[in-house]
Amino acid sequence: MLKLVELATTRPKLVIAVVLLVTGLFMSQFPKVKTDTDPKHMLPATSAVRVYNDAVEEHFQLHADWIVLGIVNAKGVLNPTTLAKVARLTNAIVGLPGVVPEDVISFTTADNVLADEANLYVKPVMAEVPQTGPELAALRRALIENPLLMDRLYSRDGQATAIYIPLATNANGKIIADQIRGLLRKADDDGSGDEFHLAGDPVARDSFGAEMSKQMGIFSPIAGAIMFAALLLMFRSLVPVIACMGVSMVCVIWAMGGTIGLGIPIHIMSSMSPVFLMAISTDTVHIFNEFYFRFRETADKRRAILDSLRVVGRPLIYTDLTTAAAFASLAVGDIIPVRVFGLLVAFGTLVLLLMSFTLTPALLSLMNADRLAALTRHEDMAEGSSARWLSGLARFSLRYGKAVVAGGLLLVLVSLIGVSRIRVNNNLVQWFKPHSDIRVGDAVLNRELGGTATAYLVVQGGQPDAMQQPEVLSFIEGLQRELEKSPLVGKTTSLADVVKRVSRVMHADDPRYEVIPDSADAVAQYLLLFSMAAKPRDLNNFVDYPMQQANLWVQLKTWDAVGMQQVQQIVEQYKSRALPAGSGKTGSLSIRAAGIAYFNLVWNQAVLWGMLYGFIVSCVLVLFLMSACFRCPTLGVIAGLPLLFTILVIYGLVGFIGKDFDMPIAVLSTLSLGLATDFAVHFIDRYRQRRAEVGPEACMDSVLAWTVARPGKGIVRNAVLFALGFSAMLFAALTPYITVGLFMAAIMLLSALATLTLLPILVKAVRSRPHGRQRER
Amino acid sequence: MQRSLLAFYYGGSDTKIRARMDLIDRSGGRRTRVLTMLRRDESEGANQRLFIYFHEPSDVRGVSLLVWKYPAKDDDRWIYMPAMDLERRVSANDRQSSFVGSDFTYEDVSGRDLGDERHRLVGEGSAGGRACYQIESTPVGASSYARRVWWIDKQNYLPLKEEYYDRRGGLVRVFSADEVRSIATGSHTYPTVTKRTMKDVRTGRRTEVTFTDVKYDLGLRAADFTERSLRRPPAAWIR
Repeated sequence: MLKLVELATTRPKLVIAVVLLVTGLFMSQFPKVKTDTDPKHMLPATSAVRVYNDAVEEHFQLHADWIVLGIVNAKGVLNPTTLAKVARLTNAIVGLPGVVPEDVISFTTADNVLADEANLYVKPVMAEVPQTGPELAALRRALIENPLLMDRLYSRDGQATAIYIPLATNANGKIIADQIRGLLRKADDDGSGDEFHLAGDPVARDSFGAEMSKQMGIFSPIAGAIMFAALLLMFRSLVPVIACMGVSMVCVIWAMGGTIGLGIPIHIMSSMSPVFLMAISTDTVHIFNEFYFRFRETADKRRAILDSLRVVGRPLIYTDLTTAAAFASLAVGDIIPVRVFGLLVAFGTLVLLLMSFTLTPALLSLMNADRLAALTRHEDMAEGSSARWLSGLARFSLRYGKAVVAGGLLLVLVSLIGVSRIRVNNNLVQWFKPHSDIRVGDAVLNRELGGTATAYLVVQGGQPDAMQQPEVLSFIEGLQRELEKSPLVGKTTSLADVVKRVSRVMHADDPRYEVIPDSADAVAQYLLLFSMAAKPRDLNNFVDYPMQQANLWVQLKTWDAVGMQQVQQIVEQYKSRALPAGSGKTGSLSIRAAGIAYFNLVWNQAVLWGMLYGFIVSCVLVLFLMSACFRCPTLGVIAGLPLLFTILVIYGLVGFIGKDFDMPIAVLSTLSLGLATDFAVHFIDRYRQRRAEVGPEACMDSVLAWTVARPGKGIVRNAVLFALGFSAMLFAALTPYITVGLFMAAIMLLSALATLTLLPILVKAVRSRPHGRQRER
Repeated sequence: MQRSLLAFYYGGSDTKIRARMDLIDRSGGRRTRVLTMLRRDESEGANQRLFIYFHEPSDVRGVSLLVWKYPAKDDDRWIYMPAMDLERRVSANDRQSSFVGSDFTYEDVSGRDLGDERHRLVGEGSAGGRACYQIESTPVGASSYARRVWWIDKQNYLPLKEEYYDRRGGLVRVFSADEVRSIATGSHTYPTVTKRTMKDVRTGRRTEVTFTDVKYDLGLRAADFTERSLRRPPAAWIR
């Protein structure tokens, strides 16, 4: 490695030119970028839940993605102006590219079957916009009396209707939502009091995707600028600033360019990797830190560079290799974007290591020696105020070691309570701020209509035609009533509702006949009639061709995992109580869940717990690697303690403030892997070097104080720099970025503090024992 | 084209067809129905009466459907359900709606009028290995499709293939005549598509109709096509 440094210091311009050339090559890949923001794709296409979801969509001819346009009017939506608007909007929406035109559902496209004594009438709910009082009253009655329409196309308080818009596969929900907003702008502000709200998973998901790149575009440079200013203040010269920022840019470009070049789409996870790499690359600060001290001592630029890297080099190699290994170990899991992310950051970290021994020394050797002399005047161990302050801190914690450790333990205990309160939940809608259109739209539609999150409960019979048996339909109907008792369930719809509706219509619209008939023949004939009158999909959505599986739709009023968990509990209880034994006509019956709400629940389990698991594996790996680096398990464990301490406290905080353990938080935990150990490694390695330098007779306290003051200053610089940079994200418009910014800053500061206060005490405790002393090199 | 419409929808002055209809989803899930369809032309290429009787599955045996079709106005339809002994007249203003949940529409079953569409001969080609005229037709009024391209056999004028396109030019449905047989009745021979498939390109679902028995010129009476026959299907023809 030092050979590389010698080359960099003798031929700096050549080294810089080569690095720039390679960087240019990686950068040329950027225009090929593909993004993928669908959280579904975090699970492999072959995962059981995705395979079954696809099968259910296929069996029941369902669309995976729906946008819901809610139209709300406090004076009621059944008035000619609003209804004309619904008709106009439906017409316009049907023509939008990406929308499946034949399956858009609104007053004008949904069919209703009406009846009198001798006739059945099949016509759209609203064929023409009603103008007169009686016409409006008739429409109102038609809506209220049809349970298939109520709470779906018309709210109980009469203040809301909706247009349901299915999207073609691969259509972008955000683009279509923007086009719909364009249509709404024309419809707005006519004094009618109509309000419009857009909701649905594709809107949230794709808006998040679009917003994600925008926010990254805004906040990466701001974070960069703040770090730039902070670095300038610390080193008072442009060269280390440019070197530090340049190195992190090079890492980001190589890693992202490489990923893009391989044709791998950038997912939410990997889109955060520039932040990670910038964070990890602040490591370079240790080189400048030591270089300033060394130059002050020797006044020989080339020697100062070589000496700095000789002492900082080993901890740099340790920390970067540990970090790279930790991230690479994420690739062991099943979740593809997490794998990509792990390998991407691992590669970037190795690039950083290479740059630390090439680009950084090359840039440093271009610095003007006279100017350096002026700059480094204050970097003196005895005179420097910050160094004095830091060694004071070391002496304080060494003197009051027991109190400091007790304080730390207390904090750990309190944090454990917090950790026990953590709720694993990922709610995409809540990634937007409370007053954002998406949050408000979702809340309004959940209040007025059936609910925006859909789950399917597939009731499967043992043989064809099982779903036409009256006892099966009664079982399904009973389950619906049970589910509807939960406040989180808004509406349920099933084949039982269809059969009851046809029965009533066939009996001259007599409400007494809104029941499931006694004979399977009657059910079969009603369904045949329904298939003659309605659109095929109106039946296919609820039952498959062989009539062996029925689909019960459950609309939930929340995207939280708890909604679906409750549904599953109700299903289990009801099943154990009411599941028909299964006759020769039905075979044995079973129920299986699917749909986006169920998917989210599984996703929570698989992805978040998977990440947690991967994180624990990485932690063990890190401890092992550090033990290997120091050739001493005790020191390895000690070096891991600030990391564990930091994580516990952070997660304790997450538990106490009631923040869900969601994807951004899970991502953060992996970040701490890359950062929190660095400080400890630098600390312990430099401590050992110093001890070897000054000899075994030197007072241990003073060696530790030196370590806290000198490499410790690098640690503080690194942490502050980082915390400042990421505090910029507190002003982001998406909550995950705020979370990441806030917690990132907290992790850095906390682990720096833990390293500088706890490590001296722990090292002293271990090293004071005789066997520890003997093993000291 | 007129000849094609007549050959396809108006073969003989009346017909009796026993057919099996299979609705098949992408994964092979299937719903099968066996029915008899009687057809009588009141006048060639104009008013038509259809009587449809379901034999299978057994739970719908006896369900009957009567359709009176007029060239320029909505059909009259009646349905009878034996399980409840209920009969209703059904008013639906859409001939292009699905025929009993299949991928065929009422119109596909009972036929279109020449004047419903504007036709243009676009060239010659082949379908099913036979020389065809290729025709493009555009509906005159409101319609579920924007355009269809079809291939008719140069010799017997039967349509062998049809492609339906939506407003954005996307292919929606494809019809294919999978088997053509000549049905002899007395002195006359009627070429007949005895097996046909309509595929919904977007959902991947398809409906196959196989004629198991076809007879022409039986001398069906107008009385066989009245509301009375719903409850008492003409026993001579339906077994």
